[in-house]
Amino acid sequence: MKLHPVEVISRERYGDHVRIQYLWTGDPPQPGQFVMVRAAGHGLDPFLSRPLFAHDYEEGDVASLLVVVRGRGTALLAEEGSALLVSDPLGRGFQVTEDGPVALVGGGVWVSPLKLLARSLRRRGIEHDVYLESPAAASGAYLGFLKENFPGATLIETAGGTGSAVFLDWVGDLARYESIYVSGTAETLAAARSAAAGVVPAQLAVRERMACANGSCYGCAVPVWAGGEMVYARACVDGPVFEAAALAW
Amino acid sequence: MVTRTTDLAVELCGIALHTPLLPAAGTASAGVMSANADIFGAVVSKTVTLKARPGNPPPRVAETPSGMVNFIGLQNPGLEAFVQNLGNFDSGVPLIMSVAGDTVGEFVGLCRRMAVEGRVSAVEINLSCPNVEHGGLLFCAGPESVAEVVAACRDALPGKPLFVKLTNEGVLRNSLAAEEAGADALTLINTVPALTVDARERRVLVKGGLSGPAIKPVALRAVYEVSRAVEVPVIGCGGVARGTDVAEFMLAGAAAVQVGSGSFAREPREILGEFAVYLGEMGLTARDLAGALGEAKPLSGW
Repeated sequence: MKLHPVEVISRERYGDHVRIQYLWTGDPPQPGQFVMVRAAGHGLDPFLSRPLFAHDYEEGDVASLLVVVRGRGTALLAEEGSALLVSDPLGRGFQVTEDGPVALVGGGVWVSPLKLLARSLRRRGIEHDVYLESPAAASGAYLGFLKENFPGATLIETAGGTGSAVFLDWVGDLARYESIYVSGTAETLAAARSAAAGVVPAQLAVRERMACANGSCYGCAVPVWAGGEMVYARACVDGPVFEAAALAW
Repeated sequence: MVTRTTDLAVELCGIALHTPLLPAAGTASAGVMSANADIFGAVVSKTVTLKARPGNPPPRVAETPSGMVNFIGLQNPGLEAFVQNLGNFDSGVPLIMSVAGDTVGEFVGLCRRMAVEGRVSAVEINLSCPNVEHGGLLFCAGPESVAEVVAACRDALPGKPLFVKLTNEGVLRNSLAAEEAGADALTLINTVPALTVDARERRVLVKGGLSGPAIKPVALRAVYEVSRAVEVPVIGCGGVARGTDVAEFMLAGAAAVQVGSGSFAREPREILGEFAVYLGEMGLTARDLAGALGEAKPLSGW
């Protein structure tokens, strides 16, 4: 996988979440796409690069990522002063129709791609509502991040985890939307898929461990329906965004 | 960048390779291989089986110190679907088909089909799979089982080289058995059986095959021992991620070298470029590395 050394402009901390901004003059990331990232100067350990959603891309060639520190790999990415190697934008993102209104639904660190999606919808004049999960245990810093980056979003308090079903109840009647776009916890994805079934087209951004990120290794398998049969698609090239109805979860 | 003045060409079973670097089976898509045809001496397909295989349920990969464990399960569309898309491999370099089966008969069927495919230069049989006719014991579990499948494949593949890919366990006796049964080259080594555990969840994370720099010393040892015991060429595989890794495998006795999961962490182009720089600095060609390995030097003065 080709990785490019990038100039990191800033790292802003929101509790254990870190927004990383870097200069990017390559292909602009599309909403729902991801990049592979690794910290330079650490050789081959950690061995694998980390897949992170494209969080935002602004004028002036500023790209950003949102990372939550979970282990050594993400800690090295978040570390102040750490040089980064970043791939081109990868995968198939959200396929946005021209019709609104649409709803963006998300939670956790996976709200990340919804920022770029909201920016794209705004630019195209597509009416949209944003619903974000606000778990009871979330830090004030993270909630501050949500408010700052998703102005006008409805923050819905949940107990976290299985509380996500309650979260979807709060979003209310999904039939009033032309489409919903979801990127959140596993519980939120599952709940959104159930709630949207037969009601509204839904696109879900899945989260999978990845190795090659170019369709070679089949490591990031996602079960999908193809002609009535369950087959494994690859999150890296067939996704990471899938039609909810296609997912064989 | 690859220095074009450096002589990287090698020969493998009569096949001219413009560089000694090949992709390991299942680690480079047809698209990735086409984009890298200028740096790969040949391309190696993902392992193909007679019938389509859905692959294993996720999770399929887990990172480990300096490596990864995979549990892919040979996901592939099956022989006929694969053969219909062989044009995807028209990248201007030789194509080595990787195949695997559940029975000796399946291996034979695959080899017969490859024997008549003009695009296929050689076949690599992946023996790290269970033989359903022998209680699921791996084909590479012992020399008798290796010899049986290799001899049958050799007969089924007239006129084309047969490469035999083996795992590390029992590699010397299995290599000797494969050579005796007619193997034209040995690919050493396949992933090492491994397990990752999630202590907090108290469950298995991934049970599969370990690859990456973590297994490089194991693979080097296998190449070193086997290449000294057999006449046929050895293709080194296991943990290649830098230019000097390619050199180390060739010094240890490999005629060509495969890069697998190392190409996930780095670009094969960078790896070959480093190898060319190494050769340039040493004033050597790729072919000069064969047999150029000295023994360990006693340390003194420290």
